[in-house]
Amino acid sequence: MSKGKILVIDDEDIVRLSCSRTLVPEGYELKMAKNGPEGLKLLEEESFDLVLTDLKMPNMDGIEVLANIKGKWPATDVVIVTGYQTVETAVKAIKLGAFDYIEKPFTPDTLIATVSNVFKIRNK
Amino acid sequence: MRVKKSFHSLTGKLILTIGTLMVVGSLLFWFFLFKHQEKELLASSVKYGYSFVDYIRNSTRYGMLTNQDLLIQQTVEAVGVAEGVQNVQIFNCTGKIAYSSDKKMVGTVIDKNAPVCLKCHDSSGPAKVTPSWKVTKGEHYRVLSIVQPIYNEFSCSTAACHVHPKNKRMLGLVQADLSLELLDKSIMQQGIAITAYVLAFSVVISATLCIILWNLVSTPLTLLSQGMRKVASGDLDHHIEIHRRDEIGELAETFNAMNAELKKAKNELMNWGNKLERKVQEKTDAIHRAQQQLVHSEKLASLGRMAAGVAHEINSPLTGIVTFGHLLLKKFPKGSEEYEDVEVIIDQANRCSNIIKGLLGFARANTAEKSPTNINDVLGSSLNIVRNKADFFNITLVTNFDPSLARIKADAPQLQQVFLNMIVNAADACEGKGTITITTKNVKEHDHDFVEIEFKDTGYGIKDEDLEKIFEPFFTTKPVGKGTGLGLAVTHGIIQEHGGKITINTKVGEGTSFIIRLPALKETS
Ligand SMILES: Nc1ncnc2c1ncn2[C@@H]1O[C@H](COP(=O)(O)OP(=O)(O)O)[C@@H](O)[C@H]1O
Ligand SMILES: [Mg+2]
Repeated sequence: MSKGKILVIDDEDIVRLSCSRTLVPEGYELKMAKNGPEGLKLLEEESFDLVLTDLKMPNMDGIEVLANIKGKWPATDVVIVTGYQTVETAVKAIKLGAFDYIEKPFTPDTLIATVSNVFKIRNK
Repeated sequence: MRVKKSFHSLTGKLILTIGTLMVVGSLLFWFFLFKHQEKELLASSVKYGYSFVDYIRNSTRYGMLTNQDLLIQQTVEAVGVAEGVQNVQIFNCTGKIAYSSDKKMVGTVIDKNAPVCLKCHDSSGPAKVTPSWKVTKGEHYRVLSIVQPIYNEFSCSTAACHVHPKNKRMLGLVQADLSLELLDKSIMQQGIAITAYVLAFSVVISATLCIILWNLVSTPLTLLSQGMRKVASGDLDHHIEIHRRDEIGELAETFNAMNAELKKAKNELMNWGNKLERKVQEKTDAIHRAQQQLVHSEKLASLGRMAAGVAHEINSPLTGIVTFGHLLLKKFPKGSEEYEDVEVIIDQANRCSNIIKGLLGFARANTAEKSPTNINDVLGSSLNIVRNKADFFNITLVTNFDPSLARIKADAPQLQQVFLNMIVNAADACEGKGTITITTKNVKEHDHDFVEIEFKDTGYGIKDEDLEKIFEPFFTTKPVGKGTGLGLAVTHGIIQEHGGKITINTKVGEGTSFIIRLPALKETS
């Protein structure tokens, strides 16, 4: 029994790999998507507890992905991962319903802490 | 005061002219008076001479009538010794000296052409004798010669001797030579006295004129011309001290008034000039500043854009390095060589991340979101962040916040970044020990209100050659890993974006103070 189902949307292989190598040993079930549309397609097929999405991606950026998820699957939490954080986008993301945001580069510990924080609140 | 004293001066010319006129005038006056007097004196001498000759005639009359030659001669001799009488002679009509005060002369016949004879005779015709006088030059003094005819009177022709025929008109002449010694002496004395008088008179009048002219004309004129020279050479404060009711006083007053006007005009002109110069300088400075700011912010903006792109690209690989570093770390026992090596990898990755964060500051400086902000609050929260850091344990933080500090329109997070950088820099400069004083206050500059924030430390100070470089991106004097050299570059960008400016006072070995001025918000309370 996994601790939860997480979808990681990021155009960078290394980020996706870092997430899986950090979170899988922690007991989470992980699926990956290379971009926004691919992630949304996966979301159509199955449900996820949490989506970790990059902010800046080709085709569709993280804010758009967030808006889509919050529109169709409000029960799914979203954490924005960003390498280019500004107050503006952070405020915008939180306003649109993002649970939190993580700055790149993150350490395994911060990622685990943030994710476990999400599930702690979800499981209440 | 130096007053010109040559004859070229006005006074000199006046004195020369008046003096000459006076000397000539008085000389002429005295000359004619003198001549007149001489004539009068001579006339009275002549009158005396005639009466003297009359007297001789009368004294000898009896002798002549009685034809007593000896008596006549004795009378003539007696008269001849009188004072002032040089010679008395009685001629008969043939020109023979019949009697003379000088006995030796008796009997001498004088030439008919002698001056005495020519008086009555022209070379041929009969004598027509009238009494006459003549002045000749004697040995020492002039001599007055008086000639009187002796007419044939009735008593003569009827006298007992009957010497003279009845039809004869003239019997002879009496000539007396009288010395004019006294007259000449007195005239000479008078001449000397008059000359002396004229000279003394001229000298006194000239001196008086001189003094009067000096005081009335020369001195004030010299004062005036000196004043004009002073004014011409630019001394417009010069005031001519002539207080008189005459034309010169009026001139001086007009001059002073003109001077005052001139000064006023000059001052006005100078004020205008200064104002203009200041305005031009201000504008030039403003243009310079704007230009520099433009170049600088252009530089920062492009750096920011590049940084934003680079940050995104580099942060993902860094995430991989950090993550896998940590994964690897777990595989080695703490304290092992491998563990430490991996730690180095993670540290260096973090350093890269810090550089990226610094670079992102540029990107952020251009997207400030400003709202009315209280600087004291921003400083307070910045201090809260650093206060508990190990670097600040031995550093005294002093705050002098002005509670009435004006608010400013600012992006608070950006200013916090600025203040944090200032405080961290100050702490770095103190090398763990010292005092950081933060002061805020309201200031006024060129009629504009500003808020001033000063960060003062007791650190090592900034060298002159570094001072011009510290705002350049990547300039740092700190060891690798500690400083990125981006703090002040970003600070500069942010402060400029807020319309403020930064000034630095520093002394190597004593400390540094960074003073930030930001335009205060105009609030209607
Ligand atoms: N308070 C200070 N006292 C002395 N030197 C300073 C101070 N603040 C800044 N500097 C100098 O300016 C340089 C640039 O500062 P900064 O841009 O903040 O970069 P960094 O702090 O990373 O070196 C510093 O390396 C230091 O030499
Ligand atoms: Mg710094």
